[in-house]
Amino acid sequence: MLSIRKRLLLSALSFSLLCAAGPVQAAELDAFAGKSGKIDIAGGTAHIPVMKEAAKRIMQKSPGLRITVAGGGSGVGVQKVGEGLVDIGNTGRALTDAEVAKFGLKSYAFAIDGVAAVVHPKNPVAGLTHAQVQDIFAGKITNWKALGGRDAAIHLYTRDEASGTREVFWEIMLKKGKIAEGANVVASNGAMKSALAGDADGIGYVSIGHIDASIKAPALDGVAPTQDNAKNGKYPVLRKLYMNTKGEPTGVVAAFISYIQGPEGAAITASDGYIPTR
Amino acid sequence: MEQTRHTARDADKGRDASSGDRLVTALLFGASAVSVVCVAGILGFLAWFCLPLLTDPTGGQLASVLSWHWRPMQGQFGILPMAVGSLALAFSSMLLAFPLGLGLCLFAHGLGPERLARPLMALVRLMTSVPTVVYGLASVFLLVPLVRAGFSGSGFSWLASLLILALLVLPTIVLVIDSQLRLAAPAVRLTAAALGLTRAQELVRLTLPLCGRGLKTAAVLGFGRATGDTLIPLMLSGNAAQLPGSLLDPLRTLTAHIALVVATDSQSAAYGSLFACGLILFGASLAVNLGLRSLGRRKMPDAEDADRTLRAAPGAGMERLATALAWTAASVVPAGVCALLGFLLWRGLPTLGLALFFGDTPPLDALLHGAPVFDGLLPASLGTVYLVLLAAGLAIPLGVASGIHLAEFATGRAGRLVSFCVDLLAGVPSILMGLFGFALILLLRRSFWPSANTCLLLSALCLALLVLPYLISATRTCLESLPQDLRLTCASLGLDRWQSVSRVLLPAASQGILGGIILAVGRAAEDTAVILLTGVVVGAGTPGALTDKYEALPFTIYYLAAEHQTPQELDLAFGAALVLLCLTALLFAAARRLQAGLNRRWKTSQGESPATPRISA
Repeated sequence: MLSIRKRLLLSALSFSLLCAAGPVQAAELDAFAGKSGKIDIAGGTAHIPVMKEAAKRIMQKSPGLRITVAGGGSGVGVQKVGEGLVDIGNTGRALTDAEVAKFGLKSYAFAIDGVAAVVHPKNPVAGLTHAQVQDIFAGKITNWKALGGRDAAIHLYTRDEASGTREVFWEIMLKKGKIAEGANVVASNGAMKSALAGDADGIGYVSIGHIDASIKAPALDGVAPTQDNAKNGKYPVLRKLYMNTKGEPTGVVAAFISYIQGPEGAAITASDGYIPTR
Repeated sequence: MEQTRHTARDADKGRDASSGDRLVTALLFGASAVSVVCVAGILGFLAWFCLPLLTDPTGGQLASVLSWHWRPMQGQFGILPMAVGSLALAFSSMLLAFPLGLGLCLFAHGLGPERLARPLMALVRLMTSVPTVVYGLASVFLLVPLVRAGFSGSGFSWLASLLILALLVLPTIVLVIDSQLRLAAPAVRLTAAALGLTRAQELVRLTLPLCGRGLKTAAVLGFGRATGDTLIPLMLSGNAAQLPGSLLDPLRTLTAHIALVVATDSQSAAYGSLFACGLILFGASLAVNLGLRSLGRRKMPDAEDADRTLRAAPGAGMERLATALAWTAASVVPAGVCALLGFLLWRGLPTLGLALFFGDTPPLDALLHGAPVFDGLLPASLGTVYLVLLAAGLAIPLGVASGIHLAEFATGRAGRLVSFCVDLLAGVPSILMGLFGFALILLLRRSFWPSANTCLLLSALCLALLVLPYLISATRTCLESLPQDLRLTCASLGLDRWQSVSRVLLPAASQGILGGIILAVGRAAEDTAVILLTGVVVGAGTPGALTDKYEALPFTIYYLAAEHQTPQELDLAFGAALVLLCLTALLFAAARRLQAGLNRRWKTSQGESPATPRISA
């Protein structure tokens, strides 16, 4: 119910933003008119919907440009942009000082996002405490019955170590506590969402932007994990979404970054369920 | 017969060569050397990147990699759970697949009704053409929920992946055993008839015991295939880096581990540990190869063998057991395959249409004016076509040349070395080819080619390596199976070696070689593990240059199976799976027709040559 309301709200919001951005839109895309070249993007999987939509709009306007989008997770983003294999490496966490120093990376934030524990929409558990979430992922609570749900074993889902979402969840939600080794490992936010949408006894965690009617995010200590609560600071598990380049970006890469950070990029970001930083 | 053929050919090989002949020999030898260089290159790469683990003065890194915990955040990089996972999964799937495969063969060779035998073998041949990623997709949405509902756990488990992996290796097992049974059948027919044995008694007491070597070959080949697969465990086994406590627990294999962790900091211990995984996998395929070699060459059984076997024949209970096994296999396997393929058809058929390929872009705009296509399969389909053409273009000349070299020119130690390397290359898991390509790019960037990047060309190169051994073996087998009379005719006409190869032997074998080429193309079209690491991406549009990143059908299926955000995207995955399956099934059917044609033409019965060889020069 909550997520449906949220979706309606978001689509209304994005619609109004899009209408407002209407006349601007053409002008912003004009920056790419007649340009050619390519932009390779990889890394953070929370970013993918925004990147794909932006790429689609730009390439429809300027067919000479090729923008490729790949996932892999934040670790992949850092490594690939650091090695120079892609032009933009996305991360769902701030870069470490070591990473910045080693590769000479520049970061450009474009959205604020929360990370929330999520379950199947039919799961009766409506709320969890911080401590309960920690115990579930550490493998100490193993049955939904202990949490007020049905008598069924809990199926844990986690992300691989390249994931920025995992890092944020582990640091802030789990306080760097243990994640049970028997947890299923999935490779992206999208994969986490579709895995949980199919498993009535599963629990995992995704970027709030990925929450829709197919999964449910129980309240954390009574606070619903919505972008509103993330914005006003009530929901604690937050991070920014970054695009990173090796050195100062130039040419079409610079134009792409300003497009994402600009009004139309912000509209896309909002319509995908994130809070634009601008 | 076998003996005389080889002697004649070897004597032919030793004939004096003219200077033109020498050039040709050198060129063909060069083609064969590629396989040796590649095997050495892959092994060298793996060893080179493992070196930091071994030379670490404290010995801590090696100890960390050879431990039981994969916790990169805490600096623990143990790969032993994955090594055990790989072994456990491969063994368990063979435990299931081998009896089923044997059962299918027994059914087809007389324990089941004759009219069911042909469709059954046709189904097995269809199974050889099913891409692993297609099995994976159908299983994620059919088998995994069934395991979850029927047992406990999340469904992504050892059990789910072992069931599908068993289906994957089954055709290999069946085809090897089947060919052995066919070879042995004539030897026992007289003995069996003389003793008045029933069909079942003949099969169980005589034919089967004669095929011991074939059964072992089937088991070893199947095991190699099961250890090297990446996509099935990656998609179905849950990938938890732990030792599974039960069949319902998730596990992680070495291959899946490489796919999951490859894009990590290339100076970290985690990166080094991947090459240790690679070395273990390479070692496994080496062991499989040596195992096969120790089984030795096939020997055609004769009536004397049949008599010997009869004296040591198993008891009467065996027939009942064999019949039960045959019927079980013949009902379980088709049911499983039909369920998965039926599910795929049910989900995929409604998606077929122009929109599946073009999304919301007008088809003519996309085809004529290059309008970019989103939400459609056109870029991925074109990507696959380009990739396959490129890989085939690289591999076919090399493979055919090397096949000719091995069949007609190679002698002695060099010949044995090349054929060993070709066999080894055929056993290298595809994910290792991808890892090799990826590490190569990193190395090139740091040395003399700073702008090298993962791209279409790199994927095609790695895929070419993957299919090269298939092409070599196909060419070699086709040439070697030509009747000896043909060679004698060439010699009596005074043709030199290259003349007889180019004017007589190659044209005679061309149909079969073409079949081998098509099989290799099919293999290149379905592979996912190689391209996963070497440049395929989600959204790239139609590839414009060799150095571009690109989309491909198998990767699109793999990606959407896990990442679909809407039901429409999942429909796209099923549509893509159906398109890919049709493509590979057509290729395999065409290859089979061509190879069957070759057999009909030259093999009248059991290696005897037809009375009048036709020379198509």
